[in-house]
Amino acid sequence: MAALTEQIALTGAASGSPARKTPGGIGDQLFRLAAYASAILVLLFLAGILASIAYGGWPAFREFGFGFLTSSAWNIGQEQYGAFVAIMGTLASAALALVIGVPISLGIAVYLTQLCPGWARKPVAMTIELLASVPSIIYGMWGLFIFAPLFARFVQVPVSNVVEGLPIVGTLLYARVPSGVGVLTAGIILAIMIVPFVASITRDMLDQIPTVLRESAYGIGCTTWEVVRHVLVPQASVSIIGAIMLGLGRALGETMAVTFVIGNANRLSASIFDPGSTIASRIANEFNEADGMQLHALMALGCILFIVTFIVLIIARLLVRRVKVA
Amino acid sequence: MNAATEITQAQLTGRHQADETAPVRIAVKDLNFYYGNFHGLKSVNLNFHDRQVTALIGPSGCGKSTLLRTFNRIYSLYPEQRAEGEIMLDGRNILDPRIDLNELRSKIGMVFQKPTPFPMSIYDNVAFGLRLYERLSKADLDVRVEESLRKAALWDEAKDKLKQSGMGLSGGQQQRLCIARTVAQRPEVILFDEPTSALDPISTGRIEELIEQLRSEFTIVIVTHNMQQAARISQFTAFMYLGELVEFGPTTRIFMNPEKRQTQDYITGRFG
Amino acid sequence: MDARNPMPATIEREAAPVTGSRVRPGRRVADRVLVVSSTLATALGIVVLGSILLMLIVEGVKGFSPALFTEPTPGPGSEGGGIANAILGSLILTSIGIVIATPIGVMAGTYLAEYGRNSKLADLIRFLNDILLSAPSILIGLFVYTLMVRTMGSYSGWAGGVALAIIATPVIVRTTEDMLRLVPGPLREAGAALGAPPSVVIKSITWRAASAGIVTGIILALARIAGETAPLLFTALNNNSWFSPNLMGGIPNLPVMIYQFALSPYPNWQQLAWAGALLITITILALSIVARFVIKSERAR
Repeated sequence: MAALTEQIALTGAASGSPARKTPGGIGDQLFRLAAYASAILVLLFLAGILASIAYGGWPAFREFGFGFLTSSAWNIGQEQYGAFVAIMGTLASAALALVIGVPISLGIAVYLTQLCPGWARKPVAMTIELLASVPSIIYGMWGLFIFAPLFARFVQVPVSNVVEGLPIVGTLLYARVPSGVGVLTAGIILAIMIVPFVASITRDMLDQIPTVLRESAYGIGCTTWEVVRHVLVPQASVSIIGAIMLGLGRALGETMAVTFVIGNANRLSASIFDPGSTIASRIANEFNEADGMQLHALMALGCILFIVTFIVLIIARLLVRRVKVA
Repeated sequence: MNAATEITQAQLTGRHQADETAPVRIAVKDLNFYYGNFHGLKSVNLNFHDRQVTALIGPSGCGKSTLLRTFNRIYSLYPEQRAEGEIMLDGRNILDPRIDLNELRSKIGMVFQKPTPFPMSIYDNVAFGLRLYERLSKADLDVRVEESLRKAALWDEAKDKLKQSGMGLSGGQQQRLCIARTVAQRPEVILFDEPTSALDPISTGRIEELIEQLRSEFTIVIVTHNMQQAARISQFTAFMYLGELVEFGPTTRIFMNPEKRQTQDYITGRFG
Repeated sequence: MDARNPMPATIEREAAPVTGSRVRPGRRVADRVLVVSSTLATALGIVVLGSILLMLIVEGVKGFSPALFTEPTPGPGSEGGGIANAILGSLILTSIGIVIATPIGVMAGTYLAEYGRNSKLADLIRFLNDILLSAPSILIGLFVYTLMVRTMGSYSGWAGGVALAIIATPVIVRTTEDMLRLVPGPLREAGAALGAPPSVVIKSITWRAASAGIVTGIILALARIAGETAPLLFTALNNNSWFSPNLMGGIPNLPVMIYQFALSPYPNWQQLAWAGALLITITILALSIVARFVIKSERAR
């Protein structure tokens, strides 16, 4: 049938009847081609990102080999570079962000879907979502100028005094210089940044659960907690994990906010109160002045970040089929 | 007299007769219901007899589901909905704000239009409601789960896959699983909200048989669109229209000799 | 009792149980904890947003003056000056970004919704576009640095604009596709039945039907790139003076200006950073709210 129509169109064009303008033809083909090319361009962006940092980082990988991943050296004078401190900082701050941010996000989603009075739902949801559009640099300033001093005074100093000398916690929670900045501060700021994403996706997933399932759980006498814990969350679990992975992807790659509050130290410390650095903050800090092997080492760091975040994001997107534009 | 009533008459013969002397389990007195400003139930007065099946019939939007949903106060999930009046159960007004909703709902079970298995195994679906209210040993729990599944006529089909997800069952089996889950709590009353509207005729037949069996233990209220169904399974029928109770009585009388013109028109299929 | 009594007494079988006797206290506690903690979590979110806005307003308003919008950024340690060059630079960079991203994004979204649909290629592009949507923006900066700054031998506004375009594109692709898919099929069929070729149907029917949604996507993309800092660090960099019209060399822009000035030791620079931060946040929040209303008015229609 389609072939037949095409044939008619073709013969129509071939006979070249001058009175009728053929509507298809070149313009239609060009439009289609332009759409196709634009779509392919999206693929090229991604391929270009990978190719450019792999190319830029290659000399560093060749020079240091596998040791690049495990060495904690970052010595510009001696041209010795290793990614270990930055990798650990990235993983630690992102992990802290999840530990703090996920329960808060779930709490907000539960509040918005189960507890919030009807009139307040939209304004509260909008407030939380607006947090997502605040630029990361603003979070950085807030973290450094507002949060860090309070955190140093009310958390770091008292906690350090209490745990000093104790085993394990005395190492984990001791601030040598209670300045308020450090890996934990970065984790807390990242947590605040991922909350709007995780909370709004989770809320959408909980909202999509049929009303009748929720009613039947209440119908056998469940409390809100039991409905949420045993029925709603298991029902939406795959999507919620996906939403958390999306948040993780964001926390791993976030640059500006972390650069403000992590302290930018290339030192391996067991204490989460101590300053550190992440891959992204290291690149942001040093790239413009870098040259030679340092530049290659920073590109190589970018390459590691690319691989880690893309694995996380692929898993996230497979779990959350089509969430709304974050 | 047209075809619809004739079918009804055939079905009515040989059915259990209504026991009007049965004690009253739920007494509704001057019940009004509001959705925001909309007056959904207007001054309804009605008694539900113990161990009898009462069918609520009427055209869409007549308030029959609304009435059903007041008995376990499931409507209170929605802040804009409110009920006024009295619904007496065990000597207490369940509309009293001091009533514990969780406990009320454990005494008045509900089965919904669509099957609603929870995202857990068949066994856990049934045990879930039990664990909420009773601390049972594993062995006791097994006994109660089996008993409930037997009462819901699901044991034979489900006994070999108790650990599998409840979602894997067919629609009719899922609905019987929901009935087992409700029965397990040993409620006093079971509410059915169009329980067969999403099911095929064979599954529907099994559910109807089941309701007939459950009557020996529970007071049953069922909302249905299907008049033949009401005629087949109920002892009492209440006909509702535009938020008002038009007529209530033994099913045989409602279907054979309705007193009101509207009831007559509805059951003979002139509107609805 | 009369056997035919139509109004039998209500059952008073068991004495009405005291509220809560069947409900274990532990269940109530768990429920309370949930209610309290999730309410607190929501309150925390609102307090944080409030605290950020309060901080910006308190610190930012102090720096507002006419000079802010007329004078370029001052040198280190000097007094006075404004951020006019950074505002203009940001406007130009964002404009370049959105001008490049809009046609690519809309056309790619059109391909996915109208041509590719459920083909393997379309599925792949859709998936990778979603990943690009949340990719770390600093990596996009590294890419454009290699692609343009290295080859052209200098930082430039063009490189900054391209970096922002790459960030904006996936947002536009995604919203365009979603909105086109909401257009009912019969509308397209009606167009095709009149003998219109696909491109004409898309341009004059489908796009028009989805226009509000597509515009929303573009506004969201604008809001997203207006505050992006990381990708500009190695592309547009920054500059403390006016710039040449060919946009070569460092181009001043608000985000990088804020970053550098906020972390500087000079009170005057810090003041300007706060003013810039207030300006940029208000702009972005306004854009996000406008985007919501565009889509809402469309849905209401």
